[in-house]
Amino acid sequence: MIGAEAMSVIRYRPRGAREQATAWIGMVIFLGSWAMMFAALFFSYGMLRARLPVWPPPGTPPLPRLLPGINTLIIGLSSVAMQRGLSAARRAQAAAVLPAIAAGFLLGLAFLSLQFVLWTGLWRAGLRPEGGAYPSVFYGLTAIHAIHVAVGLGGLGWLLTRAFFHAFGPARNLGLRLWTGYWHFVGAVWLLMYLTVFLI
Amino acid sequence: MQVIPSEERAAHEELQPIHHEPKSFFFKYLWSLDHKMIGRQFLWAGLGFLLVGGLLAMMIRWQWAFPGKPVPVLGSIFLRSQGGAIGPATYMTIFTMHGLIMIFFAITPVLIGAFGNFLLPLQIGARDMAFPWLNALSFWTFALSLVFVILSLFGELGAAGAGWTTYPPLSTNVGTPGSGQTWMVAAVFVTGVSTIMGGINYVTTVIRHRAPGMTWMRLPLATWGLWLTAILNVLFVPVLGSAALLLLLDRLFGTQFFIAGATASVSGGGDPILFQHLFWIFGHPEVYILILPAWGIVSDLLSFFSRKPANWYRGTVYAMIAVCVLSAMVYGHHMFLTGFTPLLGQSFMLLTLIISVPAELLFLNWLRTVWQGSIRLTTPMLFSLGMLFVFGMGGLTGLYLGATATDIYLHDTMFVVGHFHLTMAAASFVASLAAIYFWFPKMFGRRMNETLGKVHFWITLVCLVTVFSGQLLAGYSGQSRRLYDPYQYTFLKHLLGVNRVASYAAFLLLFAQFIFIYNFIRSLIAGEKAESNPWQVSTLEWFTASPPPYHNYDRIPTVLRGPHEFADPEVRRRLGRDFIGQAEELPEAMPPAVASAG
Repeated sequence: MIGAEAMSVIRYRPRGAREQATAWIGMVIFLGSWAMMFAALFFSYGMLRARLPVWPPPGTPPLPRLLPGINTLIIGLSSVAMQRGLSAARRAQAAAVLPAIAAGFLLGLAFLSLQFVLWTGLWRAGLRPEGGAYPSVFYGLTAIHAIHVAVGLGGLGWLLTRAFFHAFGPARNLGLRLWTGYWHFVGAVWLLMYLTVFLI
Repeated sequence: MQVIPSEERAAHEELQPIHHEPKSFFFKYLWSLDHKMIGRQFLWAGLGFLLVGGLLAMMIRWQWAFPGKPVPVLGSIFLRSQGGAIGPATYMTIFTMHGLIMIFFAITPVLIGAFGNFLLPLQIGARDMAFPWLNALSFWTFALSLVFVILSLFGELGAAGAGWTTYPPLSTNVGTPGSGQTWMVAAVFVTGVSTIMGGINYVTTVIRHRAPGMTWMRLPLATWGLWLTAILNVLFVPVLGSAALLLLLDRLFGTQFFIAGATASVSGGGDPILFQHLFWIFGHPEVYILILPAWGIVSDLLSFFSRKPANWYRGTVYAMIAVCVLSAMVYGHHMFLTGFTPLLGQSFMLLTLIISVPAELLFLNWLRTVWQGSIRLTTPMLFSLGMLFVFGMGGLTGLYLGATATDIYLHDTMFVVGHFHLTMAAASFVASLAAIYFWFPKMFGRRMNETLGKVHFWITLVCLVTVFSGQLLAGYSGQSRRLYDPYQYTFLKHLLGVNRVASYAAFLLLFAQFIFIYNFIRSLIAGEKAESNPWQVSTLEWFTASPPPYHNYDRIPTVLRGPHEFADPEVRRRLGRDFIGQAEELPEAMPPAVASAG
């Protein structure tokens, strides 16, 4: 049996930490919820693909693998940069936070630009959304993912302006932590999308 | 008795400091961060759309009783171009809008939006939700979806008309062109986003903001029901969201997720059945999303008005959890006729029928709670007992639809309509009314009229049972759902009588709701002032003022016992009454004032 004093040391951290934990739990629940949305999209893809005898259907241009592969690396590096920014803030290395977030933001921007190149290229090659299940899956899933990347870029841009004024430190990094979590989530969804929609 | 370290109490006070009540109209009534105000906003919006959905139901009932005849009053206002009568295409939009409005824009906001918001923080002893700002955003996102619903009602080529289930290909541009359907699909997506925001808030709040001593097994059952509902919402509404998104892509950007056959391009179209999978992966948990809050609320009310602890509290909690888990594994019973392999059909049938085990457990607990209690037949208690009755009917008719052998005959008949109206429309609706009558004093600080409430109850219950039994009978005799004029078929001609009786009962049901509206508004303005605990019950919200102050509790309560502390002889001896609050300290001996009065 531990006494009341010991209990309070173990269980009761300062107020900031408690509020941050609450916000983090909310973020985890949100990401879990949104993961179900993407799970339903992947389920749809699996079912549509299982129904067709040949995938891709004859006469449709195959999806490139190299460009989205590079993009997977880019969004992965972007995630790494954000994580480094977060740990820099935790270690109170204020000078290292801003460049890390800037790198994350620019890599994210590069990802979206390359997605745009991917779409226009396939569009010119004759792949249109009205061409059946195959292009529907490609355009639908990548577009819905890209909207999430765009929202994340908005968040990262906001972090960037705040990091410019040295807003992040060991005790004050909640916004950075939440957006980094979201950014990892978006990256992980892309990895899964690359593996399933493009590779196999 | 366990000791709550004072540090924990201090930590809770620090985590949830008292904020000043905003004074400006905008921050007090529109962008309010107060969960009680947001709950009231949801209540008003939900009740308003409940009336819209109810009027649409009356038009359907009119069509079944007097097919093709001009609709009195409503017809001369809304259907002037058709001479006041309902045409076949209009009929489609009417039943579609009725279903969607009732489920997503009436029952959900009233049960989950209003009572979830109002009750959760109060019942767990918190000052507000974990994320008040997100909570306000959730309501205004919901309001945006209501704008979409209204836009749909006035869409070109009419409102949405593909049924509440929105099955493709009927719901794609091939079957239902026009902006009405698009607006409605968008409205469902936006209201889903709002529901998820609310759900994140509810789940986090109960995990993080329970008052010291409020252990999981001391939560009121209403809180349990609402919390489990929030979990189901957070997990399964996104699946509906993705179905709605893909359908919108099909409608607006020409993709072909759900278009197949002659209407699709040659290179292989999509799959309409895919939509049914997505819809019901969400849709079956949704059935429990709509009934779990009702179960929780009724479990509490039955105990309160039987003046007895709820029978086997833990059993009720475990049964609700079991239903939540099972609800995610049974969706296939909506799709027995889509060409499943019989093996899959049988698995879904088995899992479906297993749900009746926890459901029976709940039922036995409710009956044992009432058994030998000192029953007080107040209006909320009458509505709770009424919910037991209609939910029992709904549950028993569900067995016929869960079993493949009978479902294949009954599928898509009025029997299905009768069954799900008994559970969702009757049971959830009756439980909502029980909740409104019960918490009205806490929400608005005044009491509703009991006599009018009882009149409202008896007419409502009798009419609900008549209307939906009529549907069961008609369906069992072979009447398909969604028929514009069933009597075009010779073998359904003799059902006109049954349908007319049900329709008259429906009109009387609408009339009874005007008694409720009168009672509600009159009580708001001139009702008798309510004291803090008019029903003499033990949960936390009844130990603060009616209505509660902006910050709910001057001091965050320290919870000492469970939610149904009734008929304890020791409490009676020391306090001279049959209940004790969850956070009330039991005095050492009876105070002399009570002793001399007794």
